[in-house]
Amino acid sequence: MKIDSERKGLAINILSLFCFLLLWHALVMMARNDIFNIPFMRLRDIPTPIETWYALLGSMFTKTYGPALTYGIADHTRASLLRVVEGGIIAFIVGVPVGIGVGYSKLLGNILNPIIEIVRNMPPMAWIPLAIFILVAGGSIFIVFIGMVFPIILNTVHGVKSTDSRLIDAAKTLGASESKIVTLVVIPSAFPSIMTGLRIGLGVGWMAIVAAEMVIRSPVGLGYFIWNMGDLGRYAEMVAGMIVIGVIGYVMNISILVLQKRFIRWVD
Amino acid sequence: MKILLKILLFVILSLFIAGCLGIGEKTQDASRPINLVKMSGQDMVQRLGAGEIAGFIMWEPYPAIATTKGYGKNLLFSGKIWEGHPCCVVAYDYNWYINTKNADEILRRMALVQLKSVEYINNAKPTNSPEHEALINYTLEFGGMTDRAAANLSLQDVDFVYNTNVPGATTFIKKIQDFGIFDTGKWIQSGYFNASDYANSLITENYVDWAVMNKDANLKSVSLREPVTIRYGYLVNDIHELPFYVAWKKGYYNDVGINITIAEGAPFQNGAFEMQKGFKADTVDVGSLGIPPVIIHRINSNDFTKDDARVGVIAGMNNEGSVIVVANNITSFKDLRGKTVGYPGPGTIQHVLFLMQADKEGLKVSY
Repeated sequence: MKIDSERKGLAINILSLFCFLLLWHALVMMARNDIFNIPFMRLRDIPTPIETWYALLGSMFTKTYGPALTYGIADHTRASLLRVVEGGIIAFIVGVPVGIGVGYSKLLGNILNPIIEIVRNMPPMAWIPLAIFILVAGGSIFIVFIGMVFPIILNTVHGVKSTDSRLIDAAKTLGASESKIVTLVVIPSAFPSIMTGLRIGLGVGWMAIVAAEMVIRSPVGLGYFIWNMGDLGRYAEMVAGMIVIGVIGYVMNISILVLQKRFIRWVD
Repeated sequence: MKILLKILLFVILSLFIAGCLGIGEKTQDASRPINLVKMSGQDMVQRLGAGEIAGFIMWEPYPAIATTKGYGKNLLFSGKIWEGHPCCVVAYDYNWYINTKNADEILRRMALVQLKSVEYINNAKPTNSPEHEALINYTLEFGGMTDRAAANLSLQDVDFVYNTNVPGATTFIKKIQDFGIFDTGKWIQSGYFNASDYANSLITENYVDWAVMNKDANLKSVSLREPVTIRYGYLVNDIHELPFYVAWKKGYYNDVGINITIAEGAPFQNGAFEMQKGFKADTVDVGSLGIPPVIIHRINSNDFTKDDARVGVIAGMNNEGSVIVVANNITSFKDLRGKTVGYPGPGTIQHVLFLMQADKEGLKVSY
């Protein structure tokens, strides 16, 4: 029974995706043939799914035309992912200890909470001008860091605070030191929550990197690629890039969920 | 404690891997491309001053501003890349043209105004000319600058013209084709056989011919019977388009019965924007911009069932007038290898010129 319903679900998933592509194609074709157009939009200029597919294939790999080296989507993706990984590692190194500190120690919580609460409400994009004017290099990585660090901190705090107090008490009665309680009781208990923070953070970081790459221009990166293609009037390549961004965000989310299920066996 | 150690190990390992990936990029230094990065002119000057970029290629007045401030030096004038290359042009929107009954009459007068304005500027360019101070004032206003020396310097780098240049446009089309900038599917749809076929369809020479025939006429004597309003598009602070500004401020357009209003969205950041948000969106009737954006977007951004991005070129604005400016420690174009260079965006004239120079020197350019 279960497998049957799963199959049914998958079938509906695929069908819905197909219908979406069909609707997209129909809207564009209707606009191009002057049958129907959504007001205030130039739908006729949007590439059809098929055109987008060919554009994706055509721009996947780096090509050279005489002196011009045009990076392919593969290289742009690699560059963007690398920035997210670098920013994410820094966010992890900073976020987890801060989160544990704030969650575990009341004093530290009282000191840091007001700062965190205000700063976390500044969207990562609001930091872009600062990154441009203050930082000499690594502006995009900094934006990813800002996007990722707060979900990690908040989820770590949440994980630490929701540690079963009986476990801590039990450890205390058995004579465990503070540091042992933190490393052996609090962190393992908070770990799933930390992973959730990392997952949410990656989502935010991925969105932030695309925005940052559009403003903080470097020669390579997906945000840069779609803006560049728009500048050249190559809308099919632009839409292909947008879809790649969406798919990668989805894959990142799913892979962390899978990792979480595999490695954190102490959570049901 | 063990878990903390493990986390630390994991972090160090990931940093190491990330570091390796980063190092991998830096090892092939000799074959590294020059990295073009899009930015505004203000940004270029500022970043060159801060040492964040090794140089930039841009229209005047930004090179003059950067060099008078001492942030960098001129490495290469665009006339050295390609002598007498065409640059900005005056173009009209095709939709406007077919919907306006006396469009030809209007365009003839636009060409004549262009001719008169260019003559005025060329006469006022020498520092001993009585009109020189007035011209500098126009340059300061239009270029958004305050330094009179920089204004004068930038004027001397630009060659103002009114003639169209079909062979020049043909060369540009060929280069743009070679550099892989055209959307190949759209190029096939356009139906042009080759570069010169396209250039001939793009440029109409008889407006300038008419203007030359009437060059000695008083502007008011050839005025249109009924005044018309033209929505004009131009580029932000681009000294190349000074003939437009001078003609507008000196009332030349009014004299021939053309009332200029600034088009919605103008001044535009670059030619690509003017083509897509201006001409294609039908918010610009006539405008000035670099010829490469015209060439590229009449193909790439065009919907050939409607020909909505179709424009025609009626007159020139200037030849040459772009400069590669580099930091003081750079002595040759080859030194830019592996470094970041600012440019106004893909498909601009500065982009194509930079690629041409790289081609000559056998270097690669990424953008």
